[in-house]
Amino acid sequence: MKKLLFTISSLFFTLTAMAVQRFPKPEFESGYKYPDLHYALPHEMVWEVVDIVLLVVLMSVVAWAMMKKRNRKPIVWVSIISIAYFGFFRKGCVCSIGSIQNVVLAFVDPTYVLPLSVLAFFILPIIFAFFFGRVFCAGVCPFGALQDIVNVKNYRLSKAVSTVLGIIPWIYLAFGILFAATKSLFIICRFDPFIGIYRLGGAVGFVTAGALLLLAAVFTGRPFCRFLCPYGALLSLFSRVSIWKSRLTTKECISCDLCHNSCPVDAVRPPYNNEVKESRSQGVRRMLGYFVGLPILIIAGALLMRMSSGSISRVNKDVKLYDMVMAQEANPQENLNLDLEAFYGQGRTVAALKASYEKHQADFKLYSTIVGGFIGLVIGLALINLSVRRKRLHYEIDPANCVSCGRCFSYCPQNNDKIILENKNHEKSHS
Amino acid sequence: MEKENKSKKSPQDRREFLKKAGTVVAGGTILAAFGALIPKAKAEKADYFWQIDWNKCTNCGRCETDCVLTVSAVKCFHANRVCGYCDLCGGYYRSNVKDLNTAAENLTCPTGAISRKFVEDPYFEYAIDESLCTGCGKCAKGCGSFGNGSLYLQIKRDLCVNCNQCKIATNCPGDAIQRVSNKNAYELKG
Repeated sequence: MKKLLFTISSLFFTLTAMAVQRFPKPEFESGYKYPDLHYALPHEMVWEVVDIVLLVVLMSVVAWAMMKKRNRKPIVWVSIISIAYFGFFRKGCVCSIGSIQNVVLAFVDPTYVLPLSVLAFFILPIIFAFFFGRVFCAGVCPFGALQDIVNVKNYRLSKAVSTVLGIIPWIYLAFGILFAATKSLFIICRFDPFIGIYRLGGAVGFVTAGALLLLAAVFTGRPFCRFLCPYGALLSLFSRVSIWKSRLTTKECISCDLCHNSCPVDAVRPPYNNEVKESRSQGVRRMLGYFVGLPILIIAGALLMRMSSGSISRVNKDVKLYDMVMAQEANPQENLNLDLEAFYGQGRTVAALKASYEKHQADFKLYSTIVGGFIGLVIGLALINLSVRRKRLHYEIDPANCVSCGRCFSYCPQNNDKIILENKNHEKSHS
Repeated sequence: MEKENKSKKSPQDRREFLKKAGTVVAGGTILAAFGALIPKAKAEKADYFWQIDWNKCTNCGRCETDCVLTVSAVKCFHANRVCGYCDLCGGYYRSNVKDLNTAAENLTCPTGAISRKFVEDPYFEYAIDESLCTGCGKCAKGCGSFGNGSLYLQIKRDLCVNCNQCKIATNCPGDAIQRVSNKNAYELKG
């Protein structure tokens, strides 16, 4: 019926179905002509193609620099290009970090059509991580690039601190998916600390948070990437088992510890003798304890989150509105706020809102339970990971944490032909 | 675990096997995700831009304050073909004004972005100066309540930075801000 009305009205006056034609169309006698209004359309689609091409090219450059060239210089250039183009020119949207939520939304909401560029931004860095490690993080990501460029000094955080903080990205990822799956909010985009810097302005709180994070990045490597970024967490899953892994040096390691010192994200693992004092049976028992504790942690997390799903669901707009409408119905007020005014003004019914409210409550209950279980799993696995100790003979790159910045290559004396040459000359002159 | 115990290989071999298994799982996951997502992604119909559905817009005024830009990307648009060209314009003059002159206290627009030009008796042509408009929607509200609704709010595509999620949309009381495809880049009246 509404459609019919719409077609009729558009046939006659090309008017809207809603707008009321209170005044007739004026009949001009002076030969007045309607001005032609044109609104500029930016060439968005062209830029999207450029985005994807540049994404692939820059990641390929980093992969080449890591695997073949074994040099940081190209990565610095990639970082600068990324900061300029993806950061300041494209204003940081859409980015791979936020694309997680679009992908989740595409899965749960059949009316949402995923743009190809968003799919590319989501899947391409993962594919590259699967082949070459986290080359996207190195400098293609404008956030990583920014933190990497400002980093001058590396104060190493203690293992306890970095382990505890390292859990945050997983929780952030879980909540990001929770709020996207319930069609409530894109929290990863909303609480983006660096977007204010790239847009040269924004809410005071976020710009301050971004500035503080950047300041922290001067003294310790990439705090955002390590302790917040949910996409980095996702990529680390794939880089852990990547097909090709970069090595510190193609020559023999002389255990000089320089690479370990150079790494801003603590991804170089030093040799480890594994001389544990505890007996093997004790260790096995402890591991068994953890494995028994793991399901308990998962169930506890799931239950806790399920219990709090009611208060978490208040993030959703319809749930919030339902509470407001209920308060209004119970105790009618004269002055309505904007939300209630719009609700009654649009003629929406309480019954329809209630249906939406109940649907959201059920959704939140389901997804909160899954998220709670997932958080329990992450904490349990972090504990187990702390107890697994392996013997290492040489310095190794930890593929999960390595962000492919390429700093270690130039620090390794074995990679530096000039030093090797000088050493040889030195030996010659002595002999 | 049982399988590993049965094979009498060294821990190093077992670790290698686990790594290979992990690689296969990861590769499979990528292929599965890609396969599931490709049918959902369409270049032409993709929801990428934000536009106001003026059937739902209540001109509440949040567009002015909630945009991530310092001056909102939402501006007032004017559909001449819908306009009644009235002298006593609900969007131009405040309600219950004493004199119909252009003194600031009589006008709706707080920034003086609406100008009008005499066409012929009794018609006036109205125009918006976009550089002055803040997207507060006061004129659109007036025009919608007393006139034809030819003044309406819309997101200027050349100003909008295309946030992944529009911040105004999360606060819009009427759910009027929606993702549109490139084809419907502008949802215009008239």
